[in-house]
Amino acid sequence: MPMGGSLTASKRRSWVREVARSRTLYLLLVPTFLMLIAFNYWPAITALYRSFYDWDGAFYEQFIGLENFKEIFNDPVMITAFQNMAKLTLGWVVIRLVFPLLGAELVFNLRSTKAQYIYRVLFVVPMVIPQIVTLLLWRFMYGMYGPINEFLRVIGLGHLARGWLGDFDFALPAVLFVGFPWIDAFNFLIFLAGLIAIPSSVLETALLEGAVGLKRIIKVDIPLILGQIKLVVVLTLINSIREYQMILVMTNGGPGWATMVPGLAMYQNAFLYGRMGYGSAIGTVLFVILLGLTYLNMKYVQSEIELKA
Amino acid sequence: MKPAIRGEVIRHVILIILVALTLFPLYFLLITSFKDYDQFIHHFWEPTLPLRWENYVVAWQEVSGYISNSILYATVEALCVVMLSSISAYVFARYKFPGKEVLFYLILGLLMIPPVLMLIPQFLVVRWFGLLDTRAGMLLPMIAGGQVFSIFILRTFFAGLPEELFEAARIDGANHFQLYFWIAIPLSFPIVVTIFMLNFVGTWNEIIWPLVVFSREELKPVTTGLLTFQGQFTVTSYGPMFAGYVLASIPLVVVFLFCMKYYITGITSGALKI
Repeated sequence: MPMGGSLTASKRRSWVREVARSRTLYLLLVPTFLMLIAFNYWPAITALYRSFYDWDGAFYEQFIGLENFKEIFNDPVMITAFQNMAKLTLGWVVIRLVFPLLGAELVFNLRSTKAQYIYRVLFVVPMVIPQIVTLLLWRFMYGMYGPINEFLRVIGLGHLARGWLGDFDFALPAVLFVGFPWIDAFNFLIFLAGLIAIPSSVLETALLEGAVGLKRIIKVDIPLILGQIKLVVVLTLINSIREYQMILVMTNGGPGWATMVPGLAMYQNAFLYGRMGYGSAIGTVLFVILLGLTYLNMKYVQSEIELKA
Repeated sequence: MKPAIRGEVIRHVILIILVALTLFPLYFLLITSFKDYDQFIHHFWEPTLPLRWENYVVAWQEVSGYISNSILYATVEALCVVMLSSISAYVFARYKFPGKEVLFYLILGLLMIPPVLMLIPQFLVVRWFGLLDTRAGMLLPMIAGGQVFSIFILRTFFAGLPEELFEAARIDGANHFQLYFWIAIPLSFPIVVTIFMLNFVGTWNEIIWPLVVFSREELKPVTTGLLTFQGQFTVTSYGPMFAGYVLASIPLVVVFLFCMKYYITGITSGALKI
């Protein structure tokens, strides 16, 4: 025992020496951690803790336990919001997987590398436009005098023209349709890089065995870029669930609450109705959903994606 | 036609249609920005002459203030993130010290916290510091948050650099700062540029945060500026409105022109895969 005691003591002394020796290193980390404590850790804790309060953010505050959460799951606006979120997420995951993959396959299969390069640049161009401009442009496209309605009038279907974003039945599909034909530059580049990385010997073998066109894509390409596909699915899933900036610009949740999503409901409750506690609770629910997804991702997907770099 | 050539033609046709649809909003933005109301009504789909440059003069008066604000916010945010995160990432990547794993996991854990959860409490913190309606109030939380992902990426990169280089420099008497500044940073230049660009673009595109932080018009960035700008124009002034959109896009185009090469290398090399 005395031996053990002195051993731990000497271990502790050497640990203290180590810490003292590394003081410059700790000092270098101080700015990062000061910022994180003030603007990340502290707010994150506040958000979770305030979910259990009825709170206007200033004077009135009362602990109400799980009442906020009960309200979320009984509030018709919130139920619609979560349904909309589910629909949009499902739609976005499918179209942002399929169309960039289609684009990447078409470009990859071109003979001329020069043409490949030109198409690659053309698909990446929209990335340089600020998101707000893209969104406002699409808002205009859906407007009464926008290109979509003008096009319908040109082809003699003018009676179908309408303010798409103000229509109860069409507002949500219209939001989903933004960015058509959805060749998202990031996803497109990821897929193209994956396809280019396939060894040419594999493709030659596939050709010899008669795997061409769609057959090759399904049997050879997709299994070989499965890592990229999973990555795109996971990122799109996460981004879709927490998307509300776009909805705020396009429709602000309307008409009525036809395009409401949870993030926007959180924003409106907190900053328009002064319900900081209820807003925090909505944020917490979203956090829990995303955390669950991240867990599933780490357990079933990420282990298979090699961490390169 | 041989089947191989037919296939190639079909691919080109589909690709041209897809490109045309992808770029249509952009085309429409540019042509409309040069039209007056008459040209807009009578020549909806095609470009027209003369070009109405005066649309840009009108728009510039409206958006120039917002644009310079956005340039300031995006530049300062991206520079601060690159500086802070590269120093921390370097320390985590190249040194051993007690508590290193714990501290790193504390940072990594923040990747799990979605921005949507942080909106309300960050607003409250900024208000508590008395920074609502100030440039610092806009910037500090964005810098803090921007660090997390950047540290994660840069640490991986710095850790992959060969130790011999650092060892040799150490023998020559280089200190921590010199190792960081003359070896780690230059060797990781493409990824550092990519981090800068991602943060610049991220700040430029932020809509919600400036919406809750600012009420003073002269502090607003382009995003919230354009939202109000939109409201000021009636149906007769689509030209100036679209000219304003074009002006708001130019700084981002410039940044992309400088950084695109690095960015494409960055994401296609797999460095940005989580």
